[in-house]
Amino acid sequence: MIDPKKFIIFLLLGSFFVHAQNKQLLYDFLEIPQSLLLNPGMKTKHKWHVGVPVFSGIYANAGSSGISVNDIFANDGIDINTKIRERAVFGLSRRDFFTGSFQIDVFNGGFRNPNKPQDFYSIGAYLEWDFILYWPEDLAILALDGNANQLGRRFNIGDLKTRGELVSVSHIGINKVISKELTIGVRGKLYSSILDFNSSRNSGSFVTNPGQNNILSSTLDADIELRTSGIQSINDDNTDLSDLLIKRAIFGGNLGLGLDVGFTYNLNKQTSISGSILDIGFIYHTKDVQTFTLNGAATTEGVEIVLPGDLVNTSGDFFQEIVDEIEELIPFEENDDNYISFRPTKAYGAIRYDFGEPSQNQEDCNCDYRVKDNEIYEGYLNSVGGQVYLINRPRGPQAAITAFYQRRLGKFLNVRTSYTIDSFSFTNIGLGLNLRAGPVNFYILGDNLLSYRNIPDSRYASFQLGLNIISWGNNR
Amino acid sequence: MQKIIKLLSFVMLLPIFFVGCADEQDFDQINDLEVIPTVEASLFFLETPEQLINLVTGVNFYSQTFTFTAFEEQFFADNVLEGVITYELENTTSKPLVIQVDFLDAGDNILDTENFSLVPAPTAVLTREVTYGDGGRSIDVIKMTTNIRISATNLGDNSSVSSLPSPKVVLRSSGRFKVQLVE
Repeated sequence: MIDPKKFIIFLLLGSFFVHAQNKQLLYDFLEIPQSLLLNPGMKTKHKWHVGVPVFSGIYANAGSSGISVNDIFANDGIDINTKIRERAVFGLSRRDFFTGSFQIDVFNGGFRNPNKPQDFYSIGAYLEWDFILYWPEDLAILALDGNANQLGRRFNIGDLKTRGELVSVSHIGINKVISKELTIGVRGKLYSSILDFNSSRNSGSFVTNPGQNNILSSTLDADIELRTSGIQSINDDNTDLSDLLIKRAIFGGNLGLGLDVGFTYNLNKQTSISGSILDIGFIYHTKDVQTFTLNGAATTEGVEIVLPGDLVNTSGDFFQEIVDEIEELIPFEENDDNYISFRPTKAYGAIRYDFGEPSQNQEDCNCDYRVKDNEIYEGYLNSVGGQVYLINRPRGPQAAITAFYQRRLGKFLNVRTSYTIDSFSFTNIGLGLNLRAGPVNFYILGDNLLSYRNIPDSRYASFQLGLNIISWGNNR
Repeated sequence: MQKIIKLLSFVMLLPIFFVGCADEQDFDQINDLEVIPTVEASLFFLETPEQLINLVTGVNFYSQTFTFTAFEEQFFADNVLEGVITYELENTTSKPLVIQVDFLDAGDNILDTENFSLVPAPTAVLTREVTYGDGGRSIDVIKMTTNIRISATNLGDNSSVSSLPSPKVVLRSSGRFKVQLVE
């Protein structure tokens, strides 16, 4: 059984470390190959790249929309029970959530077609964990205060919404320059789910009312479902966990298919718009599936003995009869039916304006593959732009908007800063550095940096870093 | 434009100056966390019409022992701290009655007894609250109860009928308990 205290610490510490998968600093950061993962239709500038295995792309984030570690654990002399009551149980709403994710590149590479330089192919695989738990507002109040003196209050058990998955993703994509203005891209993905759980379509209530016969009546109306795959065998003591996880990661898990699409369109030499939709896909769960359901409605007023009718009941099993009746009306059932889960689809849209002193070798091509042989094309000195981000979540889409500024410092360093407004913060300033030493490319990106003034008070943070080998020449 | 670029550059590097600060945190506070909800529900209900009381010869017109395992559920028994059982009794018959509730353990030993003497109608509803734990009776009574016996005794005759509509004796009960979820 989960220790409630450890669970609270886990949620809050999780919120300190890592945000809802928005990689606003990486999006359209043309100098970093991994930004192609966020828009398969971005303007690729290089001839080929190979990521250093495991280190080519590491990303982690976590966030809490309504509370921070500091809110609960600050050494401020306030009783923790008061803080839990005021800041969590009665301070959060059912729209607040805890989330965390990480993504690690297993390998990542890409190359330009020597014969068709307008085509850039990419291939890779990564491991991704994504988790979200909405604050179960009414259930938290019920757990803290109980149902006493709450006559007529309907506790919403539909507040229970969560999902999480660990999945390996193998992908192959093509990025194609259609015209001087338009670049498009598409990426196919094969998902191999290592584990999955979701409980997001719950409804029902628990209410205590004055009884018709007895003093109180208690009514439970539940339609709850928890679907899992890949978890049962992990709990099995006889399972070799590392073997199991590796096997599942390499196409041995529950399989699915997905698609990323994107584009960049140059409005003029210096202005472009871009957009992408990522993870339009599903996973079909057939292995190691366990689904738990609680579905039905029942009302009880305790043991009821109404004479003379109950004189015939001499067994004295009135209580067990109630239990049996409730279990029949609200059966807790388990099945292993196959199910489909849809990936959390994400979408980006952006507008970008490049300005400042352009580098040498610029052609009227807006910094894509049509630069001169074996010369690094630097593009303009500065870029500014705005981005929007959407991710599909169990309670509907979550959105973020970002403004960014990027500057090239010499030939070796690109710096980007961003300001983002989202569910977590109105003061999210991020900073990204991309270093280039010959063919070696290293980047590190982090956001919500203002919160580092008091790290535990941060409701979310994310970082990503990576190491690649890049050839900037082209093949023409 | 140069000024704008310098300003943006400054803003861009500003976050660096904030990196690495933290208010003091005390994670040991979690050991002081207590979650003690108070839960309530009806327990048992008995209804006997006067017509039936008249039909039964002898003074003890009803006695029934029934299992009541709600209290002995492991989680509840381990974590209940205190509680109040509320009784409501209503007698609209023409007879004086005694209702007795016995709390029994697994060996049918009496742990606690509650007696209610009801005068003939018309009379008010008798309400009684019995506290267990926290200065009341031992909470162990609740923790160890596995059976409940309800006995009803007629101290009057077997022929009179109350003039009130549908004369009967009714016992209602509910429990309100504090349960320690997190300690």
